[in-house]
Amino acid sequence: MPTIRAKKPGETLFGFLVLAFSLFLFWQAYEISGFSALSSPGAFPIAASGIMVVASCISLLKDLKRPAEIGGFEVFWSNVLPPIVSIMIAIIFIFGIALDTLGFIISALLFLIISIQFLHQKGLVRSILLSLLALTIIYIIFRLVFSVILPEGIIPEREIMAWIGSLFK
Amino acid sequence: MMEALNYFATSWISPELMALTALGTFLGVYIGAIPGLSVTMAVSILISFTFSWDVNNALCLMVGIFMGGVYGGSRTAILLNIPGAPSAIATALDGYPMALKGEAGEAIGLSTVMSVVGGFVGIIVLALAAPMVSEFALKFQPRDYLMLGVLGIMLVGSLSGNNLTKGVFAGAFGMLIGTVGLDPLTAEERFTFGVVELWNGINPIAVMIGLFGVSEALTQLHYMNKAAIKQKIDRIIPRWSDIKKYLPLSLQTSTIGVIVGALPGTGGDIAALMAYDHAKRVTKNPEVPFGQGAKEGLIAPEAANNAAVGGAYIPMLTLGIPGDAVTAVFLGALFIHGLNPGPLLLTENPGMFWFTVGNLTLANIFVLVFGLTGIKLFSKIVECPKGILIPLILLLSVVGAYAINNSIADIWWMLGFGVIGYFMKQYDYQVGPVILGVILSRLMDENWRRAIISERESLPDFFINLLSSPLSFVLFISIVLIFISQTPLWTKAKAAVFRKTV
Repeated sequence: MPTIRAKKPGETLFGFLVLAFSLFLFWQAYEISGFSALSSPGAFPIAASGIMVVASCISLLKDLKRPAEIGGFEVFWSNVLPPIVSIMIAIIFIFGIALDTLGFIISALLFLIISIQFLHQKGLVRSILLSLLALTIIYIIFRLVFSVILPEGIIPEREIMAWIGSLFK
Repeated sequence: MMEALNYFATSWISPELMALTALGTFLGVYIGAIPGLSVTMAVSILISFTFSWDVNNALCLMVGIFMGGVYGGSRTAILLNIPGAPSAIATALDGYPMALKGEAGEAIGLSTVMSVVGGFVGIIVLALAAPMVSEFALKFQPRDYLMLGVLGIMLVGSLSGNNLTKGVFAGAFGMLIGTVGLDPLTAEERFTFGVVELWNGINPIAVMIGLFGVSEALTQLHYMNKAAIKQKIDRIIPRWSDIKKYLPLSLQTSTIGVIVGALPGTGGDIAALMAYDHAKRVTKNPEVPFGQGAKEGLIAPEAANNAAVGGAYIPMLTLGIPGDAVTAVFLGALFIHGLNPGPLLLTENPGMFWFTVGNLTLANIFVLVFGLTGIKLFSKIVECPKGILIPLILLLSVVGAYAINNSIADIWWMLGFGVIGYFMKQYDYQVGPVILGVILSRLMDENWRRAIISERESLPDFFINLLSSPLSFVLFISIVLIFISQTPLWTKAKAAVFRKTV
């Protein structure tokens, strides 16, 4: 007999959200072409979302039978979504927004300094040096070797590259 | 025969071609290993670089990247539990636990040797049985493709976690993600909510980087206080006794790999998962349980996914049908260089065929060379403290997501799926089936519709024909059997009913 694990805080709520989400998608899938034909564009989405509804119902029912979560909200914030995770999620989302306006170099540098300083905690100077080193390597590999185009932002990168290029001519 | 041998050796005699193959393989190993950088992406970027090159040079570089990349994905799967490529999902299941126990070097060594063994099996089959296997693949009906897709998702759903229901849910979720956008057959909008940007759908690579890069990095944050596990990589060259012991299994799973790889639409990812499942079933008494660092669970998918490379070439060169995403990109490259892969390629241009076979062989040898060296350098990434590593993974994920289409929107999709994946992992939902669902969605959708249209929309006819075709019947039975055998509910329900009646 497998041991029945106690629920994690928020697991039942997550189960309900998953079910609601599946039902919403099922409704949306039905909206595509209804039950008009087995080969309609909506047939496969209806099948897939139908499976989602059934599967999420089963796992929700199973969850409800399991012993209740211990600790509630406090445990949720310490075990499931501890501050370190929510702060990192926030930092990376801010990075995503800054990337569009500030450009890759500045926003990535700030992201690395802030997050390394936050997670590594070995002094600000070290964080800055590490970030500069990492960013230089990433820039050389991706921007120069693989020619991945990165958002330019406020630094006139192309002009600088062209200027450096002209020095060697 | 002599002529074939002559073509075969083209890239072996020319120092330039040999150097390009070596460079390609080297790059491939590292590209495959870096999470967020995929072989598909590298090959597609390279197409634009090598557009003006001589076709032989371009092919040498790209074949090297393909071969090296399929192998390279295993490294991060073993060291970081992040599969560098979908074909390495199964590798992580036992490779990472091995690394946690300090056996990372052994795991890498074994996976390298077995990848090369698998690679050779694939190449030999490609060379000898290409016409035969392609004829077999021609017999596949749309419904067979559909069932292969179902089989693949069910396999990954049941074997990667202990909860089949949640695995099935994740697989279906992935299939639904794959349907977002304009329907490829009727151009009808699906799940676009009136947003034009959604017409092209959600980029699978963005979903993949989010689910495997970001959500893994976020999960790792839970273990910040624990000292970073020093992955001891002392012994890379595997023991001869180990190679001898596991050679039969790797040959078996290589065979699975070639066959699955040769089926159009299925590639290394499904091959590796089926191989893992096979190893699980034939290994009666593993020294270490599966999922906790069993060597069988490591070598089976590794041999299979490299064997699938040779297999994937069979439909690509003989039928012009790609085996997976990478071969699809490859096919594009061949067309750009004026070659017409298809049934006529072998008769009209046998030189091209034998050149490719020789090339693959050479690249496979280089995998062995680069796989058993330079690991110390690579492992430095793993010894790097988590506080530095996690920001780097997150940054690479962002760069990778942006690089697909130079689109900020892909970054948001990637981050969104990263957060969703994080919560899914917290509540025991597997993320592997989601990716497989996304990749297979279109194939399954199209083949379902093709199959049901050919039966004139009649479900009874569909099943009658399904049961009367031996091939479809075998596939159908395997799906049913896997479903039953993997459902703990079934045995539990049986036991419960039994107890009540007594």
